[in-house]
Amino acid sequence: MRKEPPPVVTTSNVGNVEPRQHPKTGQNEWYQQAVGDYDTALDRLAHAYEADPDRRRDLLQEIHLALWRSFEKFDGRCSLRTWVYRVAHNVAASHVIRQTKWKKNAAFLTLEEAEAQPGNENVEVSADRHQALARLLALIQRLELVDRQVILAYLEDLDAESIGEITGLSTANVWTRIHRIKNVLVRQFHTGVRDAR
Amino acid sequence: MPGECLPDDVQILWREMEMSSLTFSPDQLRREMEKLQVGSRRKSIIVAVVGWSLIAAFAVFFFLFDNTLARIGSALSVAGFAYMLVYMRRAKWRALPDVGPTECIRFYRTELERHRDSCRGMRLWSWILIVMAPWIIFNLGFMQVHPEVAPVLWFDCGFIVAAAAFVAHKWLSTARRYQDRIDMLDASQKGS
Repeated sequence: MRKEPPPVVTTSNVGNVEPRQHPKTGQNEWYQQAVGDYDTALDRLAHAYEADPDRRRDLLQEIHLALWRSFEKFDGRCSLRTWVYRVAHNVAASHVIRQTKWKKNAAFLTLEEAEAQPGNENVEVSADRHQALARLLALIQRLELVDRQVILAYLEDLDAESIGEITGLSTANVWTRIHRIKNVLVRQFHTGVRDAR
Repeated sequence: MPGECLPDDVQILWREMEMSSLTFSPDQLRREMEKLQVGSRRKSIIVAVVGWSLIAAFAVFFFLFDNTLARIGSALSVAGFAYMLVYMRRAKWRALPDVGPTECIRFYRTELERHRDSCRGMRLWSWILIVMAPWIIFNLGFMQVHPEVAPVLWFDCGFIVAAAAFVAHKWLSTARRYQDRIDMLDASQKGS
């Protein structure tokens, strides 16, 4: 009788493979694969959580360290992408909480507050793409962490189901937040980004 | 709607961000982890040296002073600092869930709860009482033996009480801020 070959695990289907069928892949190999696929996304994520360049470098290193260590326990129950984003967001959340522990005025913007902010009328300033990006980063860095996680995942082009899997929010909740975030972005960036082209 | 295509534009803008191109090899990360472990060991050694020095100093005071209050203060200080050393060695913060399998919202809530709990309850009051009470008792005893330095010691007692009140206020208000964020997080999940 012909034996079925074991399933091939790739980055895209790892979440669908039963843990027991999972071939033994080393911690280093998973890490290298994750870095190969998500290196720039992790870098952008660190920018969104930390404005100070030195502390950002530390945060990025912390994320990489946590990621590498986490692969000791990676069992393929979720996709590599979900795992990488969860590790990165969780480490970054700890970082932000630590950094703001004794700061009395370290309040973050809720979506309601972001929506209530006046729209950007300064076309000349925002006509520069660097300026627009700086403003986008500044807005993201002020958002409450859960909204920040949703907006970052959205900017990385993840769908609502994936964002729900990473954050633990229901898909409906993610949709609502994305819709509201889009409105904030429209109000804050439409003129700037369009004119910058 | 004029802004219909906007989010795509912002996504493109987002991905055009210049990157720092920092890379870490597994060997580098392993070395970094060892460095962190060495740093944490060094911190523990410093705490132990300071703690044991204070214990030794108050043990000497116990035999040096003939006054009952000073002796009670010294004995309590020795016990208090010994408790602190044991506490710091054994008591761990509430453990965080693993970063990989834990969804962000649960991880964030646990982290907020952990920080909130570190700033209130037994942890706060035991630290304040352990440092403050024996020190004041010791000072009162010392005043009886050397009444000429009483004004300085009263100032010292006042300073300790003020410092303890400041720390308690700071920690409790920080704990309240964490609780507010937890409440906000819960409300935002219920609201949507």
